Amino acid sequence: MELLPQALVDGIMLGAIYIAIAIAFSLVFGVLHVIDFAVGEWIMLGAFAGFYLNLWAKMDPFLTLPIVFIVFCGLGYLLQPVIQRVLSGHKGNPLLMALVFTFGLGMIFRGTAQTFFGFYSHSIPSHFSNGSYYFEKGSFFLTISSVRLAGLIYAVVITMILNYLLRYTDFGLAVRALAQNKEAAGLMGVNNKRTNKLLYALYTGITAMTGVLIGVIISVNTKMGAEYSIFAFFVVVLAGMGYLAGVPAAALLLGIIQSMFLVYLDPGWTLLAVFGILYLILVISPTGLFGKGWV
Amino acid sequence: MTPLLKDRRLIVAIIVFLVFLCIPAVVHDTFALRMCTEAFMWIGLAVTLDVMAGYTGYLNFGHQAFFGIGAYTTALLMMKAHWPFPLAVAAGGVVASVAALVIGIPTLRLRGSYFAIAVWALARAIQQFALIATFTGGPDGTRLTAFLDPQFFFYVMLGIVGASFFCLWFLLERAPFGLKLKAIREDQESAKALGLNPTRLKIQAFIISAIPTALIGGVFAYWVTFIDPGSTLSDLISDQAIVMVVFGGMGTLIGPVIGAILIFSFKTLFWAYLSQYEVLYIIILGAVIAGSVVFMPDGVLGKFIRKAVRRSPKPESLPPPATAGKEA
Repeated sequence: MELLPQALVDGIMLGAIYIAIAIAFSLVFGVLHVIDFAVGEWIMLGAFAGFYLNLWAKMDPFLTLPIVFIVFCGLGYLLQPVIQRVLSGHKGNPLLMALVFTFGLGMIFRGTAQTFFGFYSHSIPSHFSNGSYYFEKGSFFLTISSVRLAGLIYAVVITMILNYLLRYTDFGLAVRALAQNKEAAGLMGVNNKRTNKLLYALYTGITAMTGVLIGVIISVNTKMGAEYSIFAFFVVVLAGMGYLAGVPAAALLLGIIQSMFLVYLDPGWTLLAVFGILYLILVISPTGLFGKGWV
Repeated sequence: MTPLLKDRRLIVAIIVFLVFLCIPAVVHDTFALRMCTEAFMWIGLAVTLDVMAGYTGYLNFGHQAFFGIGAYTTALLMMKAHWPFPLAVAAGGVVASVAALVIGIPTLRLRGSYFAIAVWALARAIQQFALIATFTGGPDGTRLTAFLDPQFFFYVMLGIVGASFFCLWFLLERAPFGLKLKAIREDQESAKALGLNPTRLKIQAFIISAIPTALIGGVFAYWVTFIDPGSTLSDLISDQAIVMVVFGGMGTLIGPVIGAILIFSFKTLFWAYLSQYEVLYIIILGAVIAGSVVFMPDGVLGKFIRKAVRRSPKPESLPPPATAGKEA
């Protein structure tokens, strides 16, 4: 039981990272109505961008965050019109086609990364990597590594910025209007295409930045994408698809589950537990933990 | 509708099937037979995937789960319980249909994204399970007693794929079942108003797509005599099947067959000549998927073959002039 507080705190700090991934992901789903199967690959590409910036330019990964953000915003901005084109196609089932398209995109990203970056696992070194805070009182003890704390702070900042953007800016109003009703929003003068492009760019930027942090805290390799895709899907389903306010709780829950499995059980079973919970949620309450997602 | 035995498509299919049946009598090259068997396997996997993707509009990103379930059930029953091969393969189909039922009930009443996520996660969870469980042999996989008869496997694979293709064709193109599925795919609310039960029909479609996949997996296990989570439960299986379906033409039964033949030929050539660039293969697959979606959403079938057929005039199929009756 001495390990319980440590496991909880680690879980919360891990979950914070998932908040940063899932909140932008959920936002894009809310507006485009398409699950981006390449979400994990965006994380992987961002992590590698951070890794090589650190290797070649000797920059601290935390300083590379703005550069990675801008580069991946640009990529997302350029890519979104293609997804939009597939989505607004009249033949067949556009939603299904867009889903397939993001899946193919994910494969291209994964293959390209494996071609150029190889199969080895790396870790991004940072000045904060070795620092940690240690508390002890009797049998109670707690170690908080400073990079993980930085991850938590990063997630809180990202959440607050997104919250501000959505609530208090014209862009946020346009996004919320589009999520509610695309046609009506268009009639009220919302520029559908431009808003979608900006939103997708924001999502790719944030996701890639989070990838750099994952590279610092955990590790970087070309196969990591699938794992984070599954975690993002899990969080979004648990929170209720399209329901942003549920994301933090669901992400923290995932972090705690993962850290409990790591400490008390066999980490090999984490994926099965995640799938089991996902299945139970779909059986009992497909609208998520809070009953506010879309069916 | 033309009577079943006079349907021209059926006659063509039967002739093609008979031609395939004669192949081992003419070709004695083991490698060629092996390639044919594998081509049949991919045709089967692509067609069963298309039952969900094309006819119900739910994309199954975890098709390999059913393939692997079939392979593992067959292998374990044959090795641990000493069941005969046909019974073990059939048992694989039963297990897969139960798995499809269990995963289909909660997800197929929801929108397609839930299904896509759930089956994708299921496939990974099953792979993980096969890796850590002891009775599956873990990462070392399971070995079967070798039965090296290429002709036997050629006929078995052809038989299973041919029979499933015929059953699916009959159900989806000749029986009301296919019309019902299409009605749901086009407009679920209207279909409900006509008294159809969408969830039940979609679950039935999922099950009839899962069973042949598991049977093919079972035959595959006995054929290659060694299975492990990295091969029979690999996501590359459904990746390739999706490429075949999308590239060939979704929503028809013949489209995936064309896609499977083209992509399988490409795959064979690629591994024969360019095997040192193995990751390039994934990039090409991804590019083919993304390119097909953007530039030819109806696949090769819709883009080239249908167009060519339409261009040649068919006088007997033209509708009678509509104005004739009104003027009289």
